[in-house]
Amino acid sequence: MKYLGLVWANLGRNPLRSALTGGAIMLAVVLVCFLLTMPAGLNAILDHVSNNTRISVHNKAGLVYQMPYSFTRKVRQVDGVAAAVGQSWFGGAFEQAGRVTFPNFAVETEHIGAVYPDYPIAPEQLADFQRYRDGAIVGRQVMRKYGWKIGDRITLRSTVWPVSLDLRIVGEIAAERAPMLWLSREYLDQALKARGRPGLGTVGIIWVRASDAARVNAIMRTIDEMSRNSDAETACETEKSFISNFFGSLQGFVTIILIVTGLVALCIVFIAANTASMGVRERAREIAVLKAIGFGRRVIFGTLLAEAVALSAVAGLAGVLAALGLTRALRQLGGWSDTLGPLGAFIVTAPVIVQGVFLSLFVGMLAGVVPSFGAARKPVVQTLHEVF
Amino acid sequence: MPLPISYSVRNLRARPGRSLMTAGIIALVVVACSLFLGLISSLKRTLVSTGNPMNLIIMRKGSDNDGSSQMSLEAYQAIRFFDGIARDAQDRPLVSPELVVQPFFHTRSGGRENVLVRGVEPIALAVHDQVRITDGRMFTPSAHEAVVGRGVLGRYAGAELGSDLEFRRATWKVVGIFDAGGSSFESEVWVDVRELANDAKRIFPYSGIRLRVASPGDLEPVERRIDDDPRYALDAQRETEYYAKQSESANSLYILVIGIAVLAGIGAGFGAANTMYAAVQARTAEIGTLRALGFSRASILSAFEIEALALSGIGFLIGAACAIALAALIGRLLGGVAFGAATFTTNVITLRVSTTDLGTALALSLAIGICGGLGPAWRAARLRPIEALRNA
Repeated sequence: MKYLGLVWANLGRNPLRSALTGGAIMLAVVLVCFLLTMPAGLNAILDHVSNNTRISVHNKAGLVYQMPYSFTRKVRQVDGVAAAVGQSWFGGAFEQAGRVTFPNFAVETEHIGAVYPDYPIAPEQLADFQRYRDGAIVGRQVMRKYGWKIGDRITLRSTVWPVSLDLRIVGEIAAERAPMLWLSREYLDQALKARGRPGLGTVGIIWVRASDAARVNAIMRTIDEMSRNSDAETACETEKSFISNFFGSLQGFVTIILIVTGLVALCIVFIAANTASMGVRERAREIAVLKAIGFGRRVIFGTLLAEAVALSAVAGLAGVLAALGLTRALRQLGGWSDTLGPLGAFIVTAPVIVQGVFLSLFVGMLAGVVPSFGAARKPVVQTLHEVF
Repeated sequence: MPLPISYSVRNLRARPGRSLMTAGIIALVVVACSLFLGLISSLKRTLVSTGNPMNLIIMRKGSDNDGSSQMSLEAYQAIRFFDGIARDAQDRPLVSPELVVQPFFHTRSGGRENVLVRGVEPIALAVHDQVRITDGRMFTPSAHEAVVGRGVLGRYAGAELGSDLEFRRATWKVVGIFDAGGSSFESEVWVDVRELANDAKRIFPYSGIRLRVASPGDLEPVERRIDDDPRYALDAQRETEYYAKQSESANSLYILVIGIAVLAGIGAGFGAANTMYAAVQARTAEIGTLRALGFSRASILSAFEIEALALSGIGFLIGAACAIALAALIGRLLGGVAFGAATFTTNVITLRVSTTDLGTALALSLAIGICGGLGPAWRAARLRPIEALRNA
């Protein structure tokens, strides 16, 4: 502890250099944290769904193939099914955006709440969803992106069905990672019939909630068995498996993000190591004098290392804070881009913060250890020789 | 009198470890940025290069991609004989009715992806002149045969010449492989449109049609005639514009990547400045001597700037070489990078770091050199000779 003053004085000896190094480390930590939020967003979704008992029932051939709507009723009668809701892709484009910028589905309003009890939606809002035919429940991410609030009226033009629907926002899914919108299936069905279409006789995915985890596998088997040899054979899977499959095509992009993150981290090590070695070299004479008057190797090594670690720790903390600010600002803008999907939620999670702080500590150690060790080990006489 | 360039270069060699370390920092930034830029521009290139400026794509009004569009047989037959449509040597109109479905394909690594399967007639090869069969042959209609794009090849189970490709309930024999000049067609599987419609049990046999107009002057009239026809509620747009619109989603990624690059660049600039400041400090006496000998401030300034630029130039060269090698390695290991497009289909892109990407990275590294070197060079130039010599 008594050497703290020495460490501090050494950091302040060349304030410009300390500031530049600290700034570089901070920027790199900001970048690393920011990049890590992308895969972390995907992992957070997977973690969130890993413990629930929801099952996705969809056509075995692919998500664009449909199942007859009547199958929803049959699924609901399967033993162990607590609730089931039919969901159809509406593909609605919000006028101002001109294209589909968030997923939106037509769902059965009376069943949706029972399938998603874990979603933070106020019960009276769910009741309104059933009461108003044109009601819509919107995820917080979408609400924020377009500055919507409950009671607003919006129009979605479907890219799949030949209809445009006027909707009234009656509820919000109050979760940071809720990018979707739900509207009433009945409303869509009536709108189609009003246009002389046969109505919505199909369903894209049936989401099932099992009454308990032990029965999930049996339910999946039963449902697949029920549809065997029909026109629409189904493939059941757990919600976790569904999500990881759905976003599987992002894996390549995630790999590249991780490579770039690694490169940036390596970059900080170089910057910090360079600074540490410059500092040690310039102070060679001073270190030799310290040793000559009796300071041990351990003290020399410790103070030099402490200097490198202190600098990178402070810079790393500042970087983590800056990353928090940056992602917050991006989220206020409504997320960056819908192209990124779950990678674009930009939420700095606790693991990301821990990784950022640990990275900076690790960098400080790694960068400081070689020059400090060298300086501590060098014989006094030799150093003094070199200097004088 | 300017200082010779060799003065700056030799100075870099005086402390090789430190110089290399700084160049290494810049190199790392160059690698990171070029990889990211390469990824986004490969995606963009894939989409933008798709389509022919003389082609029109016709879909149901309101749908924004072939996957969600549908069209009746009557509409196809009516449009087929519109004026202004190009014809082939046998005088058949270059109109290709197409049906697009996106079944699951299973990747070799166990995942599943939505792959775009396009049902076409043999005339499609004349309409999509980018597409050339490079191995095997075109499928024979009604024989349950398929041709697959280069990007699909080997990525999915059964996507191999001579193998059986299974999706939905049918099995298709792969009889050919096509190349489409790097465009997004290469991520598709083509089969006979009638067989596909039967298999998909569709009420409407087609998603839409692609057609070639006879001359650029015909684009406008044919487009208008289709748009204005009240019978079918169809919408015509130019094929190149359709794909360009899909590539717009890559633009926001571009801004994101540039932002990341600039942040990383500033960080590296700090690192470079550190090295140069140290160099100035170590050479105070030398600079004083040079000034005393009569070298002007400007020549000192430029000598240090040249040193910084040389440093960033070396960093760029190392970084560029590593980036190209790494991109090739990633391509080899991942077999192309898959991108889930907004239309839910998977685009398999070949990651390539283009000269434009390298140009951007070069600009970034030179900016790092110039900005990082400016402060130290300025300090060196302003040293007063007498004081500098006395301090030494």
